[in-house]
Formats: sequence, C-alpha cells, structure tokens
Amino acid sequence: MERQRVGFSTYLFLIPGVGFIVLFIGSSIFITITQSFGLFSVTGTSQFTIDHWVALLGDRESLDSVLFSLKMGFLSSAGTILFAFPLALFLRKGGTGKRFLASLVKIPLFIPALVSAFLIINLISYHGIVNEVLVALNLINRPLRMLNDRFGWGVVGIQVWKNVPFVLLILASSLASIRDDTIDAARNLGAGAIQILAKIFIPLAMPGILVSAILMFIKAFGDFAITSVAGPVYPPSIALRMRNTASLFQEWDKAAVLGVIIILTTLVVTWLYAKLAEFVTGGEG
Amino acid sequence: MSKLVLEELTKRFDNIVAVDKISLEVAEGEFVTLLGPSGCGKTTTLRTVAGFYKPDEGRVKFNERVMNDVPPVKRNTAMCFQSYALFPHMNVWDPHMNVWDNIAFGLKMRKLPSQEQKKRVSEALGILSLEGMEKRKPGQLSGGQQQRVALARAIVTQPDILLFDEPLSNLDAKLRVQVRVEIKEMQKRLGITSIYVTHDQDEALAISDRIVVMNQGRIEQVGDPQEIYLRPRTSFVAGFIGLANIFKARILGFEGNLTLLSAPFGALRVDLGRSYPIGAELDLSFRPESMSPWTGVGGNKLKGTILHAIFMGDAMDLFVDVAGHRLRARAGSAARIAAGDEVEFSIPESTFQVLE
Ligand SMILES: Nc1ncnc2c1ncn2[C@@H]1O[C@H](COP(=O)(O)OP(=O)(O)OP(=O)(O)O)[C@@H](O)[C@H]1O
Ligand SMILES: [Mg+2]
Repeated sequence: MERQRVGFSTYLFLIPGVGFIVLFIGSSIFITITQSFGLFSVTGTSQFTIDHWVALLGDRESLDSVLFSLKMGFLSSAGTILFAFPLALFLRKGGTGKRFLASLVKIPLFIPALVSAFLIINLISYHGIVNEVLVALNLINRPLRMLNDRFGWGVVGIQVWKNVPFVLLILASSLASIRDDTIDAARNLGAGAIQILAKIFIPLAMPGILVSAILMFIKAFGDFAITSVAGPVYPPSIALRMRNTASLFQEWDKAAVLGVIIILTTLVVTWLYAKLAEFVTGGEG
Repeated sequence: MSKLVLEELTKRFDNIVAVDKISLEVAEGEFVTLLGPSGCGKTTTLRTVAGFYKPDEGRVKFNERVMNDVPPVKRNTAMCFQSYALFPHMNVWDPHMNVWDNIAFGLKMRKLPSQEQKKRVSEALGILSLEGMEKRKPGQLSGGQQQRVALARAIVTQPDILLFDEPLSNLDAKLRVQVRVEIKEMQKRLGITSIYVTHDQDEALAISDRIVVMNQGRIEQVGDPQEIYLRPRTSFVAGFIGLANIFKARILGFEGNLTLLSAPFGALRVDLGRSYPIGAELDLSFRPESMSPWTGVGGNKLKGTILHAIFMGDAMDLFVDVAGHRLRARAGSAARIAAGDEVEFSIPESTFQVLE
C-alpha cells in the first residue's frame, strides 16, 4: 500500500492528544525512572544509586508480588475473554430479549471497581449469601473460603465480573464487523458450527480479542482496589506493595522501582501484543 | 447433479410475503435465471434453496428428496454471493488465508485427502484462469478476479446445484459481459444445475436456458429467452424485459387468418394465432424493433411525427407520435431521420402479443 505523506498541519491536530501524553504521562514516567535510581527523590536528595534495584530484586517478597500480579493479570484476562466471547457471540444477532440482556450485562461497567468488590464480597464472603444458601440447602457442611483465598480466585472472579461488559463491547464490535455473507458462505461450503467458530468467528475477532486481552491484563496486573479488598493476605499485589512501600514505610525510591517494574511489564506485554497482532493479521492493518 | 423442484414454496418475513406459492422444476444441468425487480423475492427463493431460510409452506426437493429440514451444510449446494464473501486473510492458525486457501475451504471442510485437494484446486484455478494467483490475498485482487475466486471456490466442491445471487453486479459493464460468458461456459462444461439471480434483463437473456420472471413474490412467466422476449404473456413481462409498446385494442372483425383491430393510433391487421369474440377488448404489445420505416411491402402502414431521434450506434431509437399516441420505433443507424420529420412506418402482422 502506498503511504500518504503527512503534512505539518496533521501534526498540529495531534498536539492536544499527544502533547498531553508527552507532557504529563511522559514526565511522570521519567521521574519514576530517575527516582528508582535515587535521582530527584521525593525526600529532596538526588544521588545516583542502584541500591534500590538490588534490594528489591533480591527480595523474595517483592518477587512474590510480581508473580502474583502477573498471575492475576493472565487469569483475569483469560477469564474475562472466556466469559465475554460466548456472550458476544450469542448477542451478535439481535432478537427478542437479547437487547434487554445486552443492557443488563453492561451494569457492572458503571460501578466503580471498589464498589464492585464490596458488592461481590457480600455474595461470596465466608458468611455471604452464596455460602449461607449452600449451607442451608445442605449442599456443603462448612462455608467455602472464596474470598481472600491464598491463590487469588476471589480477585479473578471480581475482575471477570467487573470487566466482562467492557470486553463485551470490544468483542461485540469485532463480531459485528463480520459479514453475514462470510458466515453463510462457510456454512454453504460445509462448515459446521465448530468449524465456523474456529475458522470464521475466532480468527476474525482476533484483533478484538487481543486488544481485550492486553487491556484486561494491564488493568488486572496493576490492580490495587480489588486485591486490597478481596486478595490474599500474602502476597500483596505489586501495586498494593508499591503503595505500602511508599506511604506506610516512606521508601519512595523503592516504590519507584516497583513503579518501573509495572511500566516495564506493561511495555513488554504491549510489545508482545503488537507482534502477535502483526502475525495474526498477516502483517496488515 | 440434481433436479430441483419447488412446490408451492412460500416464505414470509413477519407480515411480508417475500415468496408466494412458487412452483418450479429445474432439470439436471439446466441453467435457470430468476429475473425480476428489486424486492420481488429472488434472493429469498435462492436462500431457501440453499437452506438458509426454511419455507413457511411448500417444499424444496433435490431429485425426489425433500430438503426442507436439511441444514445448509448438508445440501451440497454452492453459492456465489454478490459481495463475493471471500474469507479475509486473517486467520490465527494460518495468517495467510489466500486465494488457494479460499478455494480449498470447502474441500478442507469435507476432509478430502490433501492430494485430491491439490488436484481439484489446480483444476479450478485452470478453469477460471487464476493460475499464478494462488498466493495472493483477496484484498490484492480486482473485483473480477475476486468473483472468479468465488466461482472457483464454489465449483471445486462439485456441488449438486450452483446458486448465484447477482454475482456480477459489482463489476463494470465490460467485465460483466466477459465474466458472464465465462460463467456460462463453465456451467455448460461441468453440467451443474444452476439457479442464477439477476435484475439485469440483458444478462438473463444472454446466459439462461430458461428465465423465470418474478414479480411481488410470484412467478409471472417461465420460458426460454426467446419466448420471454418475443412472447411476453403479461404486461409486466412485456414492460420489464426490453422495451414494449403496450396498448388496448378492440376486435372489429376478421379477414382470413388475420384479426382487424381498432387501436388508439389507428386500425390494425394482426395475426394473433387464435380468434377472439368481436367487440372484445385486448391488451397488446409489440417491440420497438418491429416498427421500422416503411420499405414498400407488407405490414401495417402507419404515419407518424418523430418526437426524438436518438442515435445509438447500432440503430436509431425513435419516439414517434402516431395520431396523438406515443410509440417507440427503430430505424437502421444509417437512416437520416430527425425530430419533426413525418415518417411512414410498417409493423408486421405477426409481431403483436396478446397480454393477460
Ligand atoms: N431477512 C429479512 N427480513 C425481513 N424481510 C426481508 C428479509 N429478506 C427479505 N425481506 C423482504 O422480502 C422481500 C423479498 O426480498 P428479496 O431479498 O428476496 O428480494 P430480491 O428480489 O432479492 O431483491 P433485490 O433485487 O433488491 O436483491 C422484500 O420485500 C424484502 O424487504
Ligand atoms: Mg437480492
């Protein structure tokens, strides 16, 4: 494809968006990075050192936090898509009742993460509604521990509940762009439901799936609110640890190291996404 | 290959009757065109044959087998869409869904051995002159090439019935003529029963063994192209296909085999092939090319004033005022006729068609 020449005025139009990002986000990322090396520290000192990095990278607890956050990122991302994709497929063709259902599932979209966490807690806590009902029905003897569990399933569950509607929006628009003719052509050529899913729906929705996966990963990886309420006692998520390090222990430079780790992970994942997207779309688009 | 039978086929959408009690038999290897204006139910009929719609009433039969409850996947029809509906090049497992993959799709679905797949796809590439393009992606092909890929994809599966839904309407005029000849040749060579939908009358006349003219969900007339053009049975058919002069006339009497009529533009002697009671009112039509400048022999002689004379390259298209009535006529392209001229025309006795 021929590349269009971009004129000077085109760049002018980019200033409000790009300018903001460069000025505020760029500068704060810069400060975070320098602080992690002891420069321009919040405490007023400015002395280059890699001590904070060495200390943190050698610290078992910090590593646990990174691993935990990675786990939450991957599981929440996969879980959300696993729930949202079939729903998006089901809602692809409007029909009686489906519009109502579609607006119903969007409700969590308008509830702040922290509030969702508390809502879900009421449902799944040790003496929450779900456990009480299960015990009352004699399905289980003792309440199940679904919250603050060591693995973090509670966090994953709330992440999924909270984010399915958002991912649904992305996936629905990917699926909506698939022409009916394409599906009919496949059916006409002998493709059954599973083959249509594998050959048409999933491949053609793949850009949307990838975008959802990456956004969800970044959200769950850097999550603070939900883990702080529903997460395990140990380890804290990386964001939670960052906050503790900074405001409880007043070790701002160490917190900056954690911040840089979050940023780096996000960058690596985004880069991976870009590579994957290139592969999936055959290098175009 | 299959014979196709539609029996009293009806399909409704909510309260719209899209297809209204259509009955039709298409012989094995026959090329039948559904022709009619927009919204007359052509696509609906075709999609019912493919199995995308279930008939509300009536039956679809392939040979003797009732297909009403057979899903599209199991019908072994192959459809060519107006939008081509090629599979885009995006694919997780194989990111390059190219021309070859598109054509092989139906064979893969049928789990044919890869040797056989190769053979058939190569054959199809040959038939549609697509050799050398197998590695291209659909987006890198012209409209005509894309449509040929869609055709190749349809024929490799050796379908019992080929279905075409206005496959050429996205192509420019010249390419349309070229590809329709290719479609026709391919179909004759392979002998696959074909249903072709179009609202382009020239295309229908050029390509079909038989034409089914549809209007508002119903069949107006079925016949071979000559019958449809020369012997339209209803004013709808006469008006929809080609140009027609349609008028009312009263029977005055008979003269041997000929019937004497009083038409709005004068008295006529016509050969209707059968007799009608004197005084009866008939709807009649004749084609513009039947009315040409008088050469001194035979036919009905009419005198008219030229309103417009349009040079068409191969002929002159004439708008003529005959006794206050407007008629369309034709003259050879060499004729020197201009608006305002008084010209004598002749119309042969046998070119009149009685309309229902
Ligand atoms: N999926 C549908 N839902 C509701 N009404 C429909 C649907 N498909 C077709 N119709 C209606 O049925 C009638 C016949 O439609 P159809 O598409 O068969 O026409 P067509 O002859 O193919 O027209 P065209 O030449 O414009 O393609 C139309 O009145 C149309 O509005
Ligand atoms: Mg149509």
